[in-house]
Amino acid sequence: MRFKASIQNISIFTKLTASLNSLGNFAWVKLSDNQVCFTIIPEQGTQVWAVLSIDSIFEVYNIQSAANNVVNLEVPLASLTSALRSALQATSASIRLTKKDNIPLLALTIITTSSINPRGAISTTGSSQEEGAFGNGYEESAFGRERETIVTQEIPVKVLSADSVSGLHEPRCREPDVHIMLPPLAQIKGISDRFTKLASVGAKAGAGLTAANAPRSRLELSANMHGCLKLSIRTDAMNISSVWTGLTNPELDPSQVQGGEEGIAEHPSTRMKALGSADGRSDEGWATVRIDGRDWGKVMSVGRLGGRVIACFCHEHALILYVYLPNDNEGEDESVLTYYMSSYSA
Amino acid sequence: METLDFTLKPEAAAKIHEILMCLAKFSDTVAIEARRERLSFTALNSSKSAYASCSLEGKTFFSTYECRPKDSAPDGRFTCSMYSKALLSVFKPRLDDARGKDTAIDRCEVSVQDRPDKTECRFVVKMVCNQGVTKTYKLTYESVEILHALFDKNAAKNHWSISSGLLREYIEYFGRRTEQLDIYAEEDRVVFTSFTEKIANGKEILKQPLQTAVAVNVSDFENFTAQERMHTIISVKDFRAIVLHADTLKTSLNAHYSHPTRPLQFNYTSDGMYCEFTLMTAGDYVDTPPPPPSAAPVGPSRTTSRGPSTTTERSESRSFRQDMPPPPAPTTRTSATSARRLGNSRAARKAPSPVPSEDSESLFVGVDEDTQWDPADSRNDEETLGWDASAENDAGMYPTFRDSGSLARVPAEESADGVAPTQRISQIKGLW
Repeated sequence: MRFKASIQNISIFTKLTASLNSLGNFAWVKLSDNQVCFTIIPEQGTQVWAVLSIDSIFEVYNIQSAANNVVNLEVPLASLTSALRSALQATSASIRLTKKDNIPLLALTIITTSSINPRGAISTTGSSQEEGAFGNGYEESAFGRERETIVTQEIPVKVLSADSVSGLHEPRCREPDVHIMLPPLAQIKGISDRFTKLASVGAKAGAGLTAANAPRSRLELSANMHGCLKLSIRTDAMNISSVWTGLTNPELDPSQVQGGEEGIAEHPSTRMKALGSADGRSDEGWATVRIDGRDWGKVMSVGRLGGRVIACFCHEHALILYVYLPNDNEGEDESVLTYYMSSYSA
Repeated sequence: METLDFTLKPEAAAKIHEILMCLAKFSDTVAIEARRERLSFTALNSSKSAYASCSLEGKTFFSTYECRPKDSAPDGRFTCSMYSKALLSVFKPRLDDARGKDTAIDRCEVSVQDRPDKTECRFVVKMVCNQGVTKTYKLTYESVEILHALFDKNAAKNHWSISSGLLREYIEYFGRRTEQLDIYAEEDRVVFTSFTEKIANGKEILKQPLQTAVAVNVSDFENFTAQERMHTIISVKDFRAIVLHADTLKTSLNAHYSHPTRPLQFNYTSDGMYCEFTLMTAGDYVDTPPPPPSAAPVGPSRTTSRGPSTTTERSESRSFRQDMPPPPAPTTRTSATSARRLGNSRAARKAPSPVPSEDSESLFVGVDEDTQWDPADSRNDEETLGWDASAENDAGMYPTFRDSGSLARVPAEESADGVAPTQRISQIKGLW
């Protein structure tokens, strides 16, 4: 079993693992010839199934195993994230699967050059700020290449057998009632975090409870087929909501929908188009789901990747988010993270 | 009658803050030893595996310095100890920052009130601020015997020095929860490895902290004369504390050691300040050839070691000196017992709190702030909606709500930092 790759985009890889880490501590990582999959299945809450093209994070990529060149690993995300964070300033970084004392590990090798002049410390005492800065800059250009530091971060992992992961399947869901492109997640997160906080404080004050045992707040998310998204929260004491209008409802691709053109005509979203209005004032045409406020906050963590997000609403049933990684090269395999959230009943 | 009086410039007071921050990572209490010509702060950790000392030169470090110990002998001294936290709440950060409205000072005057005719013995710190404000702190102290660690530099054949700034960069790579640091040299590279002893198998393996190895070119050291292929293990926490302090002084750090299971010393100097740290080491004994026979016999060479405790040999010695505890016998390949002991030292490591963004109350998440994307933790910053209980009664009878989130977070101790009463309450009673 072999895996070795040089990391092409450390920043995206770090943001990805950091986002996943907010939902779970361990990820099932499936490495194969043409893609890398990260899957988080927490005991409770949102599942993430991420499928990445090799190129989106790795450059030189080498995988070998007896099982069709597929390697399944269980990886602690916190360790992986902090290891990757330490590589953000690196000149190059590579990762490989190895073994030490019979414990499998992912070894991240980082080559970095220090920004500090190693001999500067002697002379800077007492000298003025500008002199010090000049000295550093000079030394940097003259000796920069010599000072290569090699950092190795070893992340203990568990190798999973093909059998142990064969029982894991991506959730299946009925066709969504509404699909809509979300506004920048920074906006949504800012507002939903605030709503959640207010609701938890309100509940606490009302019943004299502490934050830990206060009833969990449920965010209500609704969208229609006329570019409207509504975020609201309801407690005994208040009812707040925020509405976005003018968003895009992407057209369905007939080749992707079961039954082609006919399938689209009978698609639930086509029926939803007939209801509701673009100003969001109508009571009709909304597909609604109820999500735990804290869980939603964790999901919003993916906003740091800055990708396009399409939300699919199955009314009173589930919400599925497709987060597309920013991709400069047209036509390449797109990398997508899929978040599955089931709706709470009212 | 003892006298200890000294005055500090704001920069020097800020340096004292840095020293106390560093020593507080070793022990809850800090010991102060004053002599005629210098003052030193020392700390010894609870397992006595790490000793830290910072000596300040009376003439260079202080604006004025006067110490007349009770003992008339030339090396008499005044010793006491107090809680690091108490002293830290007096020597706050940014004492030298003129922009800091609350903390900036003009000078700092310290005196010890230790007279039999007074009812109270106090360590008195006067912070003379701008605009004529003077804050006076009277701290209680305990008269103690101070233990100093002795270090035999003649036996420590291995030594190296390196810029603290570089080390500071290296420690940033280390995993948060690691306990030990292995220093190992081989073929022009020095490897600093932070690790934690193996935990049980199974799921636990995944919870093991990162193991980080930083390989540094020997040429990055200012000098390097040390035996290769020898594992010397110390505590990451101690190392981190030392490097962070050395980095505040922008000085270079020297290390001296002989072989694993014998003490290791880090030291550095800066403008009238001499800091030394003596740490117990563990390590792989098998890989290490036996130490070359020391040139000087052990007994006499001890007395030649530098350090504050060297000149006290003939005095009637108020403070009792003690050598570092004897090293644990190297039992097996990996001297696990001593290694565990190092790991045991109290873990009070605190991650630097993330710098709050300029407008933390902004409705939207800042695009560049990566940490802002983390899920909101409602326990950390409580946003409470409560009654306005402030003294501003302009609102009259109308009940008002106000978002008191920021007000509620003002720590209670800060309010106690105001000007200490300089008058008896009875004297100003007439005002009411």
